[in-house]
Amino acid sequence: MSRFFIWFSLVALFVTAPFIGSASLHVSDLIDLDSLSARIFFELRLPRVFFAFFAGVILALSGLLFQTLFRNALMTPYTLGISSGAVLGAGLAIKLGLGTLAFGIGAVSLFGFMGAMLTIVALITLARYIKHEQSNSLLLLGIALSLFYTSCLMILFYLGDAMQNDMLLRFTMGSLSVIGWQNPLLVGLASFVLLIFIFIYRFELQLISISDESARLKGVDTQKLTLILLGVSSFSIGVLVSMSGPIGFVGLIVPHIVSKIYPSSVNKRIVKTALLGGFFLVFCDMLVRLIVTQSELPIGIITALIGGPFFIYLIINKGRV
Amino acid sequence: MIHLQSLTCKYANKTILEDISLHVSTHLSVLGANGSGKSSFAKALCHLIECEGDIFLDGKNIADLTPLELAKTITYIPAKLQVHDPYISVYEFILLGRFPYKESFFEYSQDDKICVDTNIKLLNIEHLKEHSIHSLSSGEQQLVLIAQALTQESKIIIFDEPTANLDPFNSKVIAHYIKKLQDSHQVILITHDLHLAFYIDTPVLFIHKQKAHYYEEKETFFDSAILEKLYGVAFDTLAVRYE
Repeated sequence: MSRFFIWFSLVALFVTAPFIGSASLHVSDLIDLDSLSARIFFELRLPRVFFAFFAGVILALSGLLFQTLFRNALMTPYTLGISSGAVLGAGLAIKLGLGTLAFGIGAVSLFGFMGAMLTIVALITLARYIKHEQSNSLLLLGIALSLFYTSCLMILFYLGDAMQNDMLLRFTMGSLSVIGWQNPLLVGLASFVLLIFIFIYRFELQLISISDESARLKGVDTQKLTLILLGVSSFSIGVLVSMSGPIGFVGLIVPHIVSKIYPSSVNKRIVKTALLGGFFLVFCDMLVRLIVTQSELPIGIITALIGGPFFIYLIINKGRV
Repeated sequence: MIHLQSLTCKYANKTILEDISLHVSTHLSVLGANGSGKSSFAKALCHLIECEGDIFLDGKNIADLTPLELAKTITYIPAKLQVHDPYISVYEFILLGRFPYKESFFEYSQDDKICVDTNIKLLNIEHLKEHSIHSLSSGEQQLVLIAQALTQESKIIIFDEPTANLDPFNSKVIAHYIKKLQDSHQVILITHDLHLAFYIDTPVLFIHKQKAHYYEEKETFFDSAILEKLYGVAFDTLAVRYE
């Protein structure tokens, strides 16, 4: 009953979300499709809600995936430095003053995407030199990379002029504001691909969540599987972060909450994690639009505000999934 | 059938096992002091670690087998259950043994579940079915691990120190199951428990200073003079504990 109530409220939230914001809309405003209200609704609000939803799906699923593959509750694209890689790439494009490159894709997005992909390549390459007890060493590698990227970003800030720095700062704080449907559709596609891949390999993941050895004894090529799934999820994360900037903590909180509500093996939590991730980010984004009406609060701040204390709670609970 | 051709295993540039050649078609007990490389031997057979030389199981080189084919040929029961998933039940855990037979992407079939039920009955652990795997005692864990290995239907089963964490009563229970499994599987027993090895009654492979010594007749190995020389400790009547 309480589970039903949670899902019911989340769906209700999703439906009302597009109506909430600095200009409040009413259903009756939407009848005239040429009115300003209708245009705000269909070209700004609705794409934004979907963008937030798909972004949440990617972040939560990647979190679940990383935590399962490395059997460590603290693993997320964020803690592994993949998001920071994207930020640095985007920062470079801003600093270089690059505009639109081709096919309407901005240089900032493209460089951000490259940053994420290069980070995962760096992580996988470095991880080969780690002999055993992979998960902790990999986490440390990610943290080291993150710190390194942050320093590089500071150099960019130091060298940048006021306008570039403002753009850069906004990007690093994350934002879900979109105009039109191009970005939501791209991110939607990426989230769908990620979901499909994770779902296809759900039983392999269940075995890996027990132990690497046990998965291999049952005939899972764990190295190959890890590479495939890391590749797909980094691709999705790259696509997302290049558009939205880094949005932390969703990948950390959502899989954990789902496992508390549904204490079951990972293969039964995939779709629920995806849905809750989507709804969670729609909720956070709605808070963003509710709290500040003058200038918008970046979404990264809200998720980190909720996520920070939660992270501490996780650490105190010994980081168990 | 196990056939080894000059198997050499190294770990962190240290040679653990050196140039082992062996042909066994019966059951086998692997003995040796702590750190002598018994577990490496087991892991090499299951291709969990990479070694030089060739390993043939049932006439096939394990390097040529796909992971799934290998899983159908050999499996390994660790001394202690290590499960990171905090929620999995005993039943779900045993069902994982059917993974090599499952059609990829699809759910486990009805036949898979029947196989699990049969083995659960065989090991008398029906009462544990719905329990969380983490709530089990060491003895129960071994039984569940055996049930999973049986469900996997591999021809060769390796036990890695099955009685290491068990009290005398549970050791006896497990010893009897191992003996029973010898009818249907090729059993490789890795142990420190000389009483168990004596009771299981198979040829012995003694690993000492990276080399393997094979004793076709159990009696030759369990001659107390040899034991004393190998372990540096005196042994008396070995059979008592499990008979």
